[in-house]
Amino acid sequence: MEFPKALANRSSSRGPTVLTAICSAIVALCAFVASVSAGPANEYQVKAAFLFNFAKFVEWPPNAFSDTNTPFVIGVLGQDPFGSYLDDIVRGERVNNRSLTVQRYRHVGEIKQCQVLFISRSESDHIDQIVSSLKYRKILLVTDADGGNGGVTIRFVNEGNRIRFKIDVQAAKAANLVISSKLLRLG
Amino acid sequence: MFLRNAPIRRRLMTITLLTCGAVSLLTCASFFVYEFFTFRQSTVASLSTLGSVLASNSTAALTFANSEDATEVLSALRAEHHIQAASLYDENGKLFAQYPANLPRNAFPVAPERDGYNFSAEHLISFQPVVLGPKRLGTLYLKSDLNEMYARFRLYGSIMALVVAASFALTYALSRSFQRQISQPILALTNTARAVADRGDYSVRAPKVGEAEFAVLTEAFNQMLTRIHDGDSALRESQETLWCLNAELEQRVEERTRKLKEANKELEAFSYSVSHDLRAPLRAIDGFSRILLEEYGEKFDEDGKRVLDIIRSNTQNMGRLIDDLLAFSRLSRKQIEASPVDMHGLASDVFQQLQPGFADQNIQFNLAPLPPTEGDPALIRQVFVNLLSNAAKYSRPRTQSVIDVNGYCQNGDCVYYVKDNGVGFDMTYAKKLFGVFQRLHGVEEFEGTGVGLAIVQRIINRHGGRVWAEGKVDEGATFFFSLPKEGSETVYKV
Repeated sequence: MEFPKALANRSSSRGPTVLTAICSAIVALCAFVASVSAGPANEYQVKAAFLFNFAKFVEWPPNAFSDTNTPFVIGVLGQDPFGSYLDDIVRGERVNNRSLTVQRYRHVGEIKQCQVLFISRSESDHIDQIVSSLKYRKILLVTDADGGNGGVTIRFVNEGNRIRFKIDVQAAKAANLVISSKLLRLG
Repeated sequence: MFLRNAPIRRRLMTITLLTCGAVSLLTCASFFVYEFFTFRQSTVASLSTLGSVLASNSTAALTFANSEDATEVLSALRAEHHIQAASLYDENGKLFAQYPANLPRNAFPVAPERDGYNFSAEHLISFQPVVLGPKRLGTLYLKSDLNEMYARFRLYGSIMALVVAASFALTYALSRSFQRQISQPILALTNTARAVADRGDYSVRAPKVGEAEFAVLTEAFNQMLTRIHDGDSALRESQETLWCLNAELEQRVEERTRKLKEANKELEAFSYSVSHDLRAPLRAIDGFSRILLEEYGEKFDEDGKRVLDIIRSNTQNMGRLIDDLLAFSRLSRKQIEASPVDMHGLASDVFQQLQPGFADQNIQFNLAPLPPTEGDPALIRQVFVNLLSNAAKYSRPRTQSVIDVNGYCQNGDCVYYVKDNGVGFDMTYAKKLFGVFQRLHGVEEFEGTGVGLAIVQRIINRHGGRVWAEGKVDEGATFFFSLPKEGSETVYKV
């Protein structure tokens, strides 16, 4: 079982329990407000959320960003199935103290700074090509397309009406990314 | 206090035991209270740690809405026996995963409650937030039983009971031996004091113990005893001396009294026998002189007859003298038989009896009411006979004799007197009046033997009273006698 040091330290110290409780209450309230405004979810709404959430469970090497102010980029390659969902989710959020932007690419060649890249089903035929051209780019590749032989770190899978994903640890290693064991448990 | 009458040993031990018991109970109680709160805190802390680990591990499951994984994360609680139930709620407060998986849903709270910890009698319940970065993903519910805590408390309880019992036993043993240091000297002192009080034995001494206060006390006590002992023996010695002296004195008094009595008796016997023996020759003289007068009367001339008459009258006179002497000496031997005496009746009776003897005399007899008294009636009668006949006799020269008889009581004595208006006497000779054969007047003037007043004095003295007289030549005389009052203690003289 993993043991997050900071959390353990905090909870074992006796002093700030009241403060913690108040903070938790505020956080819970915010979460409640957020959930009310979320509305019914369809497939790509869920996938958009997953894309954003992956960013929280994956560690990029420091040199993946040009400097500390560089925004965290979630890219969509090919035909965009998300509509405004992805932009809505990302708006106002921060990951590792970086703001988030969504960029859409039609060709691999357009990709410059990018941390998470969703490869649309429209690109399912060129997946191997895309993977090889983005090799060593420290990009978390995600797709719900079926094509390709490997190199894509996370693939969405539909299990009944639920959306699951599979994680390719080799691909992550090749991209020099560290995936949290918590995420790995789900993949 | 309840131990007020208990012996000092028990009191000392009880005090020690109570003190020790109170201290050890207080110590144990505070330790228990401290442990209680410490253990609660540590229980909360360990549950919080466990919750944090679980919450952290379930962030991904919550984020990606994977309840199977969350259930698996929770199933790790199998290793924690004290966790009875656990569940995860998503950010909307919906039950997301539960442990144990087979428990019915209604065993879990429908919705998460406020974050925090809550102790009930048997459970500790906690609600902890599941947070990822700044975002709250849901709530973790944990329900732990407190068996471990109670088991710990039971253990503490038995250890405490053992400690208290052991300390009691130890205190009992220690105080049993230590209390002797205090109680022994006190008991020794008590025993000594008791020996002194019960037996009056001042020679015992309390044994000295150590050098502290008890030793000082014992020494002071012993010194006191020594002083009392010395004083006591000195007192006894002087008492003995006093007794010896007293006994000696008493013996001497007794001896003297005995000698005096002997002498008195001898004297009385002598006077009686003398008086008695004197009567025989007197009778002979009287008898023969009467024969002489009757048978040879005509042979004597007038002078001879006169001399014979003188002889006869003197012999008779001497016979009376001897009779009076005998009566007087008999008085000394006679026992006094005391009984109430009606003095008034007695005086009146005596005067009636005497009156024929003074028929040629004009007598005015004034008898005032006399207070009654106690005494020998026959002897008191003799007193009145003598005094009244004296009064009549010595007032004969008066054409009108006046005799007053009166009496009064004062200071426990009754005083009676007989007063006449007769020839009286010179107060210079007042003392001589009551002597035997003492006379202030010649026989030619007033007949008598001079024994009457002596008899009065002796009778009154033997009744514990006294006699005295007042008078003046030619102005009458008054004879007083006092008798101890009726009912008062009478001392009869021997």
